Amino acid sequence: MIEAPKILEIRNLSKKFGGLQALSDVSIRVRQGEIASFIGPNGAGKTTLFNMICRLYQPSSGEIRFEDKNLLDFRPHHLARLGIGRTFQNLALFRHGTVIENLLVGMHAHLQAGVLAGVFRFGRAAAEERRAREEVERIVEFLEIEEIRNSPVSVLPYGLQKRVEMGRALATRPRLLLLDEMVSGMNQEETEDIARFVLDLRDELGLTVIMIEHDMNVVMDISDMVHVLNFGVPIASGPPAAVAADPAVIDAYLGRGGS
Amino acid sequence: MRTRTYKETYSQLSSLFPYADTWAWYGVLMAIVLALPWLVPTYIFAYVTLVLIAVIGAVGLNIVTGTAGLISLGQAGFLAIGAYTTGILTTSYGWGLASAMLASGVASAAASLLVGIPSLRLKGLYLAITTLAFSIIVVHLINDADSLTGGSSGLPVRRPDLFGVVPMRSQMAMYFLSLAVAVLVILATLNLLRCRVGRAWAALHDYDIAATLMGINLVRYKLLAFAVSAFIVGLAGSLMALNIRYLNTDSFGLILSIEAIAMIIVGGLGSVRGAVLGAILITLLPDLSRWVLGQFGSFTGSLASGSAAEIKGIIYALVIMFFLRMEPEGLNHQWKRIKRFWSEWPYSH
Ligand SMILES: Nc1ncnc2c1ncn2[C@@H]1O[C@H](COP(=O)(O)OP(=O)(O)OP(=O)(O)O)[C@@H](O)[C@H]1O
Ligand SMILES: [Mg+2]
Repeated sequence: MIEAPKILEIRNLSKKFGGLQALSDVSIRVRQGEIASFIGPNGAGKTTLFNMICRLYQPSSGEIRFEDKNLLDFRPHHLARLGIGRTFQNLALFRHGTVIENLLVGMHAHLQAGVLAGVFRFGRAAAEERRAREEVERIVEFLEIEEIRNSPVSVLPYGLQKRVEMGRALATRPRLLLLDEMVSGMNQEETEDIARFVLDLRDELGLTVIMIEHDMNVVMDISDMVHVLNFGVPIASGPPAAVAADPAVIDAYLGRGGS
Repeated sequence: MRTRTYKETYSQLSSLFPYADTWAWYGVLMAIVLALPWLVPTYIFAYVTLVLIAVIGAVGLNIVTGTAGLISLGQAGFLAIGAYTTGILTTSYGWGLASAMLASGVASAAASLLVGIPSLRLKGLYLAITTLAFSIIVVHLINDADSLTGGSSGLPVRRPDLFGVVPMRSQMAMYFLSLAVAVLVILATLNLLRCRVGRAWAALHDYDIAATLMGINLVRYKLLAFAVSAFIVGLAGSLMALNIRYLNTDSFGLILSIEAIAMIIVGGLGSVRGAVLGAILITLLPDLSRWVLGQFGSFTGSLASGSAAEIKGIIYALVIMFFLRMEPEGLNHQWKRIKRFWSEWPYSH
């Protein structure tokens, strides 16, 4: 079997916050169409890694390549157009908007209307709005949130808000989707829904997904590759079964009551 | 009762007034407003002209402060720039009405970039103070440039004919000009706020980091919010100049900025309808309260009419505190409640 080309390549990445070495010399490869999981105890540096991919943090050293581009040449607001979408560990929805409005913001990078077009709602601008609305409706259907599409997001239960945030990330039309602790705080059923969505995204749309997860069932069930961090140090990478059996992982992570 | 309406196409969903009877109501309102000069004495529609100009200013401020969440106490400065641009261009340079008004908007928008740039790093109180300082500096500069602006002795303003043909001398003409600008500004803003640009402003207000990752360039959109807002406020300033026909920097004190903030807080931050309702209420408020105080006898009555600016300041402060405490979503929220009540009547409860 020919291996899929790599979509993300992290090379010797390190990050220091003052005296704290949040990440040391991390090298990870993610292939196209892969579902990869980043796991590790609290404070291991997982979110920091996402923040560096998203260009919110500047690495202390190292390289990040996405497809054929050096990500370090870009700024955070370029990410959506490059094809990287993300959800946040703590909800980061636009709380004054409805579900649909949140998703429409997600499409920002792929729409054109400027101030004048917006004011006059010229033919083109109106058509663009209509197309955006259609695309967003497809996401609503995919995530099975039709009933709440016009609700203000602030009134939704936590699990649904997370789902909306996933929808908003999908609206950026990502080829690489970064999910930071999607299922934490979700019940069994909601968790299974999310796992199913992730698999569908990969199987039907060919998306590459990187999840940061504490829920070991989800990680073991749907990941192709698991990368383990401990105090910013990569300690294991490989298919779920191999990683779960790795003594270093058991010692550092699973052994410490991390289920 | 208004039944749930199902929409068949996305364009219906995104239309400005989704219900047919909404159009009817706005039609009735428009008819009344258009007939007003023939229905009431001059001093009333002269008063309504002031309200309309306030509405334009509030709708403008609401864009940057209500929607994009960038607190601006620079309203007085932008109004002054708009007013003096029109005053100078029409009186000293013989410009036409429409081009002078447009120039006022552009000048004010250009000046807004000066405040906008520090705003990229500042938030909340710091931004408020920066914009306040901007306002004070503008007034100082206007006073200093007395060869151009008349300085402290003021500047009489010529009111040229519109497009060189429509005579503008009457109060009625001024009323209709303000009405036309107000309607256009309201419609334009409503459109703008429900397209990509307006959504980006609301998004960066709610969660700037998430907005960035949606592809929203914070620098560009914050500056844009300042510029668009200041353009509209500049138009309001231009109308002020044309309306009073005499400019003096005393009319552009800090109280004007406070007044404008009060309008959008009372109306409900971020809502165009709120800005309109708030502008109406706040413009009427000093006169209303003077009348109410007058009812308690001549002492309180004379107190109210005595030191106008101080009394105004106190009233605005009280109203702002009242609304922030009791109804942070403003008049707009009340409006929605009442509307829901009537549209579901007789099943409302
Ligand atoms: N902006 C920052 N400034 C200083 N320290 C930071 C910053 N962001 C993260 N850290 C520190 O870096 C370390 C890694 O944090 P990070 O959020 O990446 O952990 P995590 O693996 O996502 O943990 P969790 O599972 O709890 O979300 C922590 O010690 C954290 O306190
Ligand atoms: Mg984290």
